[in-house]
Amino acid sequence: MEEKDRKKHHKKHSGPKADKKRKRHLNDLGLGDDEDARKRNPKAFAVQSAVRMARTFHRTQDLKTKKHHIPVVDRTPLEPPPVAVVVVGPPKVGKSTLIKCLIRNFTRQKLIEIRGPVTIVSGKRRRLTIIECGCDINTMIDLAKVADLVLMLIDASFGFEMETFEFLNICQVHGFPKIMGVLTHLDSFKNNKQLKKTKKRLKHRFWTEVYPGAKLFYLSGMVYGEYPKQEIHNLGRFISVMKFRPLTWQTSHPYVLADRMEDLTNPEHVRVNPKCDRKVSIYGYLRGACLKNQSQIHMPGVGDFTVCDVSFLPDPCALPEQQKKRSLNEKDKLIYAPLSGVGGVVYDKDAVYIDLGRSHAPQDEKEEVRPNHELVQSLISTHSTIDVKMASSKVSLFMDSKPLGSEDVENQEFVMPKEEKQIDLKTGRVRRKAVFEEENDNGASDEEEGQDEEMSEDEMDGSEDGDGDDEGESDKEMPGQELDLRSAKRMKREETTEEAAGELPAFADSDDDLEMSSGEEGETDLDESKEEAEDHGDKEESNEKESSDSDSESSSRQISKFAPCELGREDKERRENHNLDHRLGKKVVPTTDSGNCTAEEASESEAEGSSLEEEEEEGLNDDSEAEESDRKGIQSAPEKNVDGVEWAESKVVEDEDGGDDIENLLKEEEEYGEENDFSADTAGALKWKEDLTQKAAEAFLRQQQSAPNLRKLVYGTVAEDADEEDDADEELGGLFHVSRPDKESKQKANALDCSKFPVETPQDWDLDEVMNSIRDCFVTGKWEADKDAAKLLKDDEELYGDFEDLETGAVHKGKPAAEGDEAGSEGEKEDKEGKEPKAEEEEEKNKRMDKKRKLKEMFDAEYDEGDATYFDDLKEEMQKQTQLNRAEFEDQDDESRVQYEGFRPGMYVRIEIENIPCEFVLNFDPHYPIILGGLGNSEGNVGYVQLRLKKHRWYKKILKTRDPIIFSLGWRRFQTIPMYYIEDHNGRHRLLKYSPQHMHCGATFWGPITPQGTGFLAIQSVSGTTPDFRIAATGVVLDLDKSITVVKKLKLTGFPFKIYKNTSFIKGMFNSPLEVAKFEGAAIRTVSGIRGQIKKGLRKPEGAFRATFEDKLLMSDIVFMRTWYPVSIPAFYNPVTSLLKPAGEKDTWTGMKTTGQLRHELGIRLKQKKDSLYKPIVREKKHFNKLHIPKALQKALPFKNKPKNHEKKAKPTKDQWRPAVIREPHEKKISALLTALSTVHSYKIKKAKLNHRQHLKDYLRKKHKEEEEKFKKQKEAKKKLFRILGQKEKKRQKSSLKGSREREK
Amino acid sequence: MASQQHSLSYVGCNFLRQRLVLSTLSGRPVKIRKIRAKEENPGLRDFEASFIRLIDKVTNGSRIEINQTGTTLYYQPGLLYGGVLEHDCSPSRSIGYYLESLLCLAPFMKHPLRIVLRGVTNDQVDPSVDVLKATALPLLKKFGIDGEGFELKITRRGMPPKGGGEVTFACPVRKVLQPIQSTDPGKIKRIRGTAYSVRVSPQIANRIVDSARSILNKFIPDIYIYTDHMKGTSSGKSPGFGLSLVAETTSGTFLGAELASNPQGQGTAVLPEELGLNCAKLLLEEIYRGGCVDSTNQSLVLLLMTLGQQDVSKVLLGPLSPYTIEFLRHLRSFFQIMFKIETKPSYEELQGGEKVLMTCVGIGFSNLSKTIK
Repeated sequence: MEEKDRKKHHKKHSGPKADKKRKRHLNDLGLGDDEDARKRNPKAFAVQSAVRMARTFHRTQDLKTKKHHIPVVDRTPLEPPPVAVVVVGPPKVGKSTLIKCLIRNFTRQKLIEIRGPVTIVSGKRRRLTIIECGCDINTMIDLAKVADLVLMLIDASFGFEMETFEFLNICQVHGFPKIMGVLTHLDSFKNNKQLKKTKKRLKHRFWTEVYPGAKLFYLSGMVYGEYPKQEIHNLGRFISVMKFRPLTWQTSHPYVLADRMEDLTNPEHVRVNPKCDRKVSIYGYLRGACLKNQSQIHMPGVGDFTVCDVSFLPDPCALPEQQKKRSLNEKDKLIYAPLSGVGGVVYDKDAVYIDLGRSHAPQDEKEEVRPNHELVQSLISTHSTIDVKMASSKVSLFMDSKPLGSEDVENQEFVMPKEEKQIDLKTGRVRRKAVFEEENDNGASDEEEGQDEEMSEDEMDGSEDGDGDDEGESDKEMPGQELDLRSAKRMKREETTEEAAGELPAFADSDDDLEMSSGEEGETDLDESKEEAEDHGDKEESNEKESSDSDSESSSRQISKFAPCELGREDKERRENHNLDHRLGKKVVPTTDSGNCTAEEASESEAEGSSLEEEEEEGLNDDSEAEESDRKGIQSAPEKNVDGVEWAESKVVEDEDGGDDIENLLKEEEEYGEENDFSADTAGALKWKEDLTQKAAEAFLRQQQSAPNLRKLVYGTVAEDADEEDDADEELGGLFHVSRPDKESKQKANALDCSKFPVETPQDWDLDEVMNSIRDCFVTGKWEADKDAAKLLKDDEELYGDFEDLETGAVHKGKPAAEGDEAGSEGEKEDKEGKEPKAEEEEEKNKRMDKKRKLKEMFDAEYDEGDATYFDDLKEEMQKQTQLNRAEFEDQDDESRVQYEGFRPGMYVRIEIENIPCEFVLNFDPHYPIILGGLGNSEGNVGYVQLRLKKHRWYKKILKTRDPIIFSLGWRRFQTIPMYYIEDHNGRHRLLKYSPQHMHCGATFWGPITPQGTGFLAIQSVSGTTPDFRIAATGVVLDLDKSITVVKKLKLTGFPFKIYKNTSFIKGMFNSPLEVAKFEGAAIRTVSGIRGQIKKGLRKPEGAFRATFEDKLLMSDIVFMRTWYPVSIPAFYNPVTSLLKPAGEKDTWTGMKTTGQLRHELGIRLKQKKDSLYKPIVREKKHFNKLHIPKALQKALPFKNKPKNHEKKAKPTKDQWRPAVIREPHEKKISALLTALSTVHSYKIKKAKLNHRQHLKDYLRKKHKEEEEKFKKQKEAKKKLFRILGQKEKKRQKSSLKGSREREK
Repeated sequence: MASQQHSLSYVGCNFLRQRLVLSTLSGRPVKIRKIRAKEENPGLRDFEASFIRLIDKVTNGSRIEINQTGTTLYYQPGLLYGGVLEHDCSPSRSIGYYLESLLCLAPFMKHPLRIVLRGVTNDQVDPSVDVLKATALPLLKKFGIDGEGFELKITRRGMPPKGGGEVTFACPVRKVLQPIQSTDPGKIKRIRGTAYSVRVSPQIANRIVDSARSILNKFIPDIYIYTDHMKGTSSGKSPGFGLSLVAETTSGTFLGAELASNPQGQGTAVLPEELGLNCAKLLLEEIYRGGCVDSTNQSLVLLLMTLGQQDVSKVLLGPLSPYTIEFLRHLRSFFQIMFKIETKPSYEELQGGEKVLMTCVGIGFSNLSKTIK
């Protein structure tokens, strides 16, 4: 059966395979390759024409250079942010399904509903952030700006839709990301041929729009509501290996596609004024360029803001650690989508929330369903924020203690003055005990120093504190269901199936907190499971370990332990121990910085009494204090006491620091002393110098105390490690004479502003040693080893000398090194002998390598010299810069690196923003993307922007000057009033009333300053949908300015009131002599075309003037002057705040309406001026007089030109005149019949004639033929006759010969 | 409005130039309060007013508000415009005071700047035009600001107190700056200088040269000091003389030093020999400080590094001057940029004092004023 069905093999006759085969065949025959052809037939490839050859060469070179891109410095970070994949398409095309399938393909997880971006790990080196783009044009515009890859879904059964083209056009304007088309609904084609045809048609249309050969993917159909696995897998492969070219705007601006948003407003403010401006924190991967703290950002759809704080967090969706496997581990396939309610670990600035894995889910599933639901419902139904709940919540610290209200906590806080930390400590101790009970149970008791104990305890305390807080929240929420929830919520994470569909409400963060906290409650409060106890024990142990480590090292270590990164590490450890279910305390985690600061502050205040506080408040590094004050509402008393402990600790630390410092100083002092001794020896016995030394040492000491670090001197705070600082201490000599910056700047606030750096204590340049101190700065001095010409020469010699040596034997050279070895290691006698030859060999080898390298370098230099083009050089330069950029800050930790570079793209950041309109929070809808676009310097300012603009060829109307229009420019979308102009030949910008149809024109508007060369697009309105193409115009920014140059034409008219020869007095053009004075010398003209000039104003009628013309005017003439009047542009800039609209109405933003729209809506008809109405033009008949030529003149004319006296033709006489004949109907009929008949007749005759002619022709041909035949016959007959005659003749001759012979015989 | 204009606020008139220049470049408005508020003669001085007028001339659309007493200044920057300009500088400060700021702004104009500055060319307070010409211009060239219209010409010399000098400064416009890596100062290969004298005996210049050479000859033989004696209209309104020295290294670093005589009617007369000697010693001090940029141009180089592309720039400096330190702070507040500051002890003896290696990543500044066609 099967064999029958199988197709017979067809040999290929075309295509690559056939070609290959043919080639092989030809090769076998011995007439193969092209090169062979060149060899075989050299003449065919010889130079025919030098000119032509030059031309072809030119052309190839041109083509080659065309392919070059301008080399750019590669600034992509080593660990890039996830690739932003935007899935676009018209509604019902299968976007969400595709995303779900892709996520499932990569992570084996099934998401039910997708809100906001979803980040997944797609490979060893790549992560993807997939986001769906709705059909709202606002969303389309925003996402086109941040997309790295666009998956453009097209319903093949329908064909292209407007949205697709609109999106393509948006992309073109804002830098073209990679675009991949995906055809869906291909299963709706029944006919295979139809399908093929459609595919091809769509493909070619797609190619014209993107680029020929752009990838178009076909998804054949749905199986059980999903796309086929294999196809999705292939698509995934395509995505995860795709390469991207950097886009200008994206690489020059930092931006964040927000993952998560949290409201941080003080609940009290919200309570007092629900409409108050909010403070929010936004989380997401930083992309594009580096982001600096305090920089300006724009949120499309909301407005401009200043970043109030940025911090980086551990990566929630980190790439797997380097491993050699080909594919990913199952546990590395992470997914992170907080807005959709998924994601393993959620990091906050000072807390880590970890998802409870499957293993921790409660076993009974019956219980789970209801409470889960209730939780959701309760979450949905609550309208108060966490903070509000916080205010009225109660905390029970221990299982059976009296619940504490927030009032209590606050009271405590307020009652207790700051200094009374002991009381805090006490309470802390009480709590600590409770914690230790567990540990003791586990037998993990410790005998550590008090300090360490405290630290670990602190941590525990903190965690409990946090728990307590959260507990409070949930308590208030569902006082009755606590226990149920605990078990239920754990389930929730693990359960990502159907139930989750209606699960998390959009505003995710708060409930994240809730979830986590309640999850922990289950652990910390219940204490039932041994695991947890162990966990605590483990943690304790780890802490101990660390603390003991740090003990042995410098004390700064201890501080650094608190750093978030360290936290992350701890975290990992715990994960290894399968103790996923832990949450770190909220408040135990001050930043390194603050720790350092406090220590230094204290030490400084002791040393000098000068306060650094001001400086530190200004400083970049956020102080812990500031944070604390921010969170006062949330904080509770125990936290305070934690602070206290810290403080105490830091004191200890600082003490130690101090000790170190002193030691260092002593050391340095000694060194310094030695140096000076040396100098004293050389200089001879200068008594005063010794004293100087001492003094200098003292001064030095003082300085050491006051200015430990140059960086600190400049910037005030220090974020680097203490070790480094110490180094700096050592390095710093008594060189920097600058005293405390604060004091100085205060003292010198009004001092002389001069950049010179006067020498305060000039050195005595007559002394030899002083002179010697700069001896080597001159070319005459000693050079460094690697630059000294003599030494280099010598080296070379050595190298070449070696060469000879090698041939004779290198034993001689090897010896000294071996000796050195001997001296170094005397103990190892056995090894030595084995080592000696080895060392020799090595040295030899090294030398050989050295020589080889040198030769290679020389060769390279020689070889490359001819080949290196300008392009190559440029490329290499860029490459170098890239390497330098990467290498410069590589070895620094992120904390300090962030200060120099800003936050690198690829980091997961948390950005705090203040003064955000409340609508942003209240109307938050996760389906709409939140983007934070960083602005460059002065990009936040407004001014006049000049554009080159062209109306889109698919947009049906033309654009009118002064009609408000919405621009998408840079990150922004805004409405403004543009003016269209065109540049005249002399560079004048002349105003246009309408944009030209098929031409570029200029446009100017008042709006945000955006760098030149940025593309933009314009749309009339962003609300609703129209069947037409929405993009009205596109173009590019040309110029930015604070003033404009657009002018419009203004004609001033006047009338002559007195006319002399060529001079006239004109009135009515101006109103005053002053105006006239301004226009003296201006060119004027009459309507009839007589040109003139304004001369001088007259006194009598105001504004009249004297003017001269090239001819005499008439009183009826109108005189006019052409002037140019500068146009003013209305300063109207209205950002499109679509994200502030209520959910569901976000695509209904309307701004200022055009006059046309308003008139249409209000039904007001335009009143036209009488003069503008079109009326029939009635012209009087112009009467011209007869041309009269004088008789004398007539006489003189030649005859040709003389007027001739033609006699008028007489009227036709009566007999010539014939009356018209009018036929009767009957007669008409007759004549019609007759004409018809005659026509028929004539036709017949014609036909007959034709026939006759044909016959004649035929006859003639026939006759001709016959005649020919006859002729032939005759000819043949003649031939026959002659032949016979000839034969006869022959015979006769023969016979006559015979006869004679006979006769002879 | 586009945004809440986040203006910066300062107290006191010190570093006024820095603040205005950085404000102009960053687009952030600045408010300066309490300018000499407690002095007998409060408010802005004439040279500061002249400076503000100059800033107003080179920009378009900037808003300057000064209160009645002149103790408070609000400056909202416009866009740098440039073009052909003239400015009469106040004779109480030298042209260098104005020129230093113009050097910072000139590459970022809309039209190439060509400005004639009139006033005092050399005085004892500010870096003179000669030194700026010899040190700052080569520095700008390192950043890619170069070409035809890049010059600083001294047409007339004017000494304090009356001035009367004239300087033409022209600078082309650039869209972006190149990053620099100048960590190797090289070795000094030659020393050049100008000994000028106006409205005094031309012999004085020669006397200065001799005395200066007497010291410098001990280090290097390649010394040439030009004598520049101006006469007639090009000699300004007051008598005076002075010397400016520049040491050039093998890697194109220029270190300058200068000294001028006391202005007429102020202080005691200075002997030209003494002036020459002292100036030579100042140069040696400058060499001792070392670095790839001399102490007066530190802030300029740091600014240009800041305004580069988003690439790493490095420069080796001598000890930071107080002016530079304040400048660094200002850079941080205007551009949110911090420099990595590393002190480099001189590895080998006899190479002068300790150096500071400054590293930063440029902010990706691009000239927003320049028109594209």
